[in-house]
Amino acid sequence: MILFDRVTKVYPNQMVALSGLNLHIKPKEFVTIVGASGAGKSTLIKLLTREETHSSGKIIVGGLDYDTITSRDVPLVRRRIGVVFQDFKLLPGRRVGENVAFALEVSGARSREIKRAVPKMLKLVGLSTKENAYPHELSGGERQRVAIARALIRQPKILIADEPTGNLDPKNAWEIIELLLKINRFGTTVLLTTHNKEIVNALKRRVITINRGRIVKDEEQGRYTLEGGK
Amino acid sequence: MIQFWRVLTAGLRNFMRNMWLSTAATAVMTVTLTLIMVSFISNMALTATIKGVTDKIDVSIFLKNNLTPDQINGFKKSLTDSGNVISLTYVSPQQAVLNYKEQNKNNPQLIAALDQAGDALPSSVQVKAKDPKHLDVIEAVVNQAANKPLLDPTAPPSYTGSRKATIDRIVRFAGFFKTAGLAASAMFLVISTLIIFNTIRMAIFTRRDEIEIMKLVGATKWFIRGPFIFEATLYGIIAAIIATILSCLLLFGGATKVASYIDFSTTVSFFQSYILLIIVAEFVLGVIIGAVSSLLAMSRYLKL
Repeated sequence: MILFDRVTKVYPNQMVALSGLNLHIKPKEFVTIVGASGAGKSTLIKLLTREETHSSGKIIVGGLDYDTITSRDVPLVRRRIGVVFQDFKLLPGRRVGENVAFALEVSGARSREIKRAVPKMLKLVGLSTKENAYPHELSGGERQRVAIARALIRQPKILIADEPTGNLDPKNAWEIIELLLKINRFGTTVLLTTHNKEIVNALKRRVITINRGRIVKDEEQGRYTLEGGK
Repeated sequence: MIQFWRVLTAGLRNFMRNMWLSTAATAVMTVTLTLIMVSFISNMALTATIKGVTDKIDVSIFLKNNLTPDQINGFKKSLTDSGNVISLTYVSPQQAVLNYKEQNKNNPQLIAALDQAGDALPSSVQVKAKDPKHLDVIEAVVNQAANKPLLDPTAPPSYTGSRKATIDRIVRFAGFFKTAGLAASAMFLVISTLIIFNTIRMAIFTRRDEIEIMKLVGATKWFIRGPFIFEATLYGIIAAIIATILSCLLLFGGATKVASYIDFSTTVSFFQSYILLIIVAEFVLGVIIGAVSSLLAMSRYLKL
């Protein structure tokens, strides 16, 4: 599903963010990536969503070799991957339903299709009653659910959750993690980055630890560790 | 197609959301398009006026009545050779009397006075000049020493009269107006481009989060750029509508007030015949200014 083969990313200021990174994530896996700030987690995600291009090595996602894609293909790549962020990135002037529908609108879905899909997705994330609410009327947990609904509305095979619980209290954080697990059970590959030690340890799923642009630890039922996996 | 409508809807929404900026940009664009149109109308009207006045003016050179046909033909040839002559007409003394009687047929007293004086009118050569600004060429021919003995000493040629001064004034005024109109139009063209450029720049800045989200969910470059281009072209379309209405009001309403000085009939009939073409031209111009300004702003501030 996701293959990184000796991937290196050097930024124009000569900062090496990833250095010969090898990574293989199988379909339907739930993988947590941990690492200190500046370890290379964000760069890894940016390479997956093609916000950045790798300097060397090979990236293959869902059978698509990233060396072969042009700038015209980038939107299509992004439509195959759902992404949620710590700061939700919702459109404040649009209602919940419109925010979720937005992802389908940009890809040219028909209005009828959108009207059918949005309520279903809101039901999945437990926000059926909030379709007409504005983001500022929701709690942090609810906003993150909207972001997840938007990321999933196009039924991507991969969902990247970049610090999705960073702005949430423990109760809401757990609800989001449970939602991600549910989505994973339906067959979506989930890639989670987090600094929340309790969540990582309680998940008992595959944990990849990154330090200074390299994978220093990769365990099937891993625990939260930093600094060289200690 | 559905994507196209979504881009238009988003552009319209952006336009409404930034009502003050949109109004300012549209107002400047309206001034620009109106100026261009007024400049066009004035040029057309002034050109028609000058043409009308100059067409009516003949330079009349009065000759002695005892010249031989060879002398007359020689004089006509020297005028033609000056290069500033469209046509030449020789008016014999008898023809001059007939013309005079025709012109004054409602004034029997004048005709009676002429009959009492006998064949008192001199023969003449009526010259229609190609370029009324350069009558000096004809004047030079008339003043040649060889031609002096042919002229009637009691009646000097008419180009030195007050009409030439009037024509000169109109020509000078038209030239000034044309230059001023062009300069003002060009200046406002630059100003409106800059203002729309700045409006779109601010729109890009205030919507940077939205743009980021659009990129994130896989919007194509044109789906992101489209609303900005449409927003800017909307300024042009609305401005074109207002400018056309203003210009027509000015032409059909205001023209009658100066109709005795300036010939608007050609311009009015041109407008009546080509009103659709004029509206389309205004729209196209407005859309081009809007689109080019927004594309410039996006190439600088919207990195996708």
